[in-house]
Amino acid sequence: MKTPLDKSKIKAAVKRRKQQVYTPVDPVQQLGFIHHNVDCIGCRACEIACKDKNGLAPGPRFRRVSYIEGGDFPDVYAYKVNMSCNHCAQPACLPTCPTGAIFKRQQDGIVDIDSSLCIGCRRCEAACPYGAPQFDPSDNLVKKCNMCVDEIDAGRKPYCVMACMMRVLDIGPIDQLDSASFDTTAIGPNDKPVKQVKNMADPKLTNPSIRFIAHSKGNVDNDNS
Amino acid sequence: MKQSQTALILRIMSLMLCVTQIQAKDAEDPEHDYLGSRWDPIHFKPAIDQASDEQCLKCHQEIIKRTTQSESPAGIKSEESIAWYQTNQNYSGPQETFHRRHLVTPEARRFMQFKCITCHQGHDPKDEVSGSSETAQSGLILRKSVDPDICLMCHGSFDYKVMSGLSGDWPEVAAKFENDCVTCHKEYRTVRHKLNFLNEYEIENLQADESDLCYGCHGGRAWYAIPYPYVRRPWLQRMPGALPEWAKNRPTNYDARFTK
Repeated sequence: MKTPLDKSKIKAAVKRRKQQVYTPVDPVQQLGFIHHNVDCIGCRACEIACKDKNGLAPGPRFRRVSYIEGGDFPDVYAYKVNMSCNHCAQPACLPTCPTGAIFKRQQDGIVDIDSSLCIGCRRCEAACPYGAPQFDPSDNLVKKCNMCVDEIDAGRKPYCVMACMMRVLDIGPIDQLDSASFDTTAIGPNDKPVKQVKNMADPKLTNPSIRFIAHSKGNVDNDNS
Repeated sequence: MKQSQTALILRIMSLMLCVTQIQAKDAEDPEHDYLGSRWDPIHFKPAIDQASDEQCLKCHQEIIKRTTQSESPAGIKSEESIAWYQTNQNYSGPQETFHRRHLVTPEARRFMQFKCITCHQGHDPKDEVSGSSETAQSGLILRKSVDPDICLMCHGSFDYKVMSGLSGDWPEVAAKFENDCVTCHKEYRTVRHKLNFLNEYEIENLQADESDLCYGCHGGRAWYAIPYPYVRRPWLQRMPGALPEWAKNRPTNYDARFTK
């Protein structure tokens, strides 16, 4: 027979363990995204595929294609930065969650949120430097990209990657993306993947699992890849 | 078939009604419809630097009004849940939304003096996402309306590597220092918390009551893997000569936005 939960014991244990230090999960293999900022045409098929898969109403966008434009004639430029959740090595959202709804998978480092445990405090949304957790006003819960874990478990790639008509968005093991040794059309023969592009928060904050092929105008000096 | 057609007609009618209502509302106050308000001068510099909370909350009041749900869809009670960093002793009160926790809860009122403009610096409607246009206001970060460096001031990790004598994170070494940060900090970093979003007096008092409660903010509520590079004022009497490597290139004063 199941023993009833003694809540006072749990509370005493919590008190004893004050100032807990959170140790991030060290996954067997960390999957990450790679996006080619220059070759992306900004068709947003990835966004639509994502919304379709996740049944999202207008409003929350798990994946966002950002159009970056600037310069003076004739020296003008445009490129795209495409981000969803970066499934960080040290996610900022995870320790902020009061209900344990957010977790990181051991086998592939995917950071997922179990929205059925979410109370909508929106701490994760504030903590994420990349704006990944999305608040859904229709049910007052926070949801986000989970790299289509069901597809990953079935041996396929996420919907956004499969929908990319330019083949500039892909996923792969982050160490292979870093060394550009991963076999993907998102990295050209002379391309060097970088960790940060212009106007993006410092990757040292959370070690996001995303790499970019940056536009020459989107390069940042302090890139440490 | 017939039923679905009726449903469709009903939906179209209700949609039309909605549109008429929205139009009617817009017509009442054309200056302050949603799209018009986005171009209100208050969202731009220099007006944003002087914006009061009342002005911001006139339209954005939902950030104060909205509270957490009492329980999650799976039945997790919000009053019984606690986050990692909430195991710090200086965390009290029920679960609240992020904004309320920084603005209106008793704890926030006691220790903090956040204004909307402490973190938010307006938005440029020309930017589909912040920082995407070359004329975008500086300090905003791609896809985020607040620069995470501001969060980092209180939510960075514990910087034990630059503190001589500490071999690890505070919970590991606290006992060695009798849980007392002031053992050392009565001499080091004696200018503390003189920022316009903190109640310096209350914070220093709290520390006097329980000597390692500093850790509550300085590492104990870490969101990020790195510490905030706090400004470094030279300690000439104690450390004459060259600055240590880690302190090079650090500013000696905070941004005027945050100073009193």
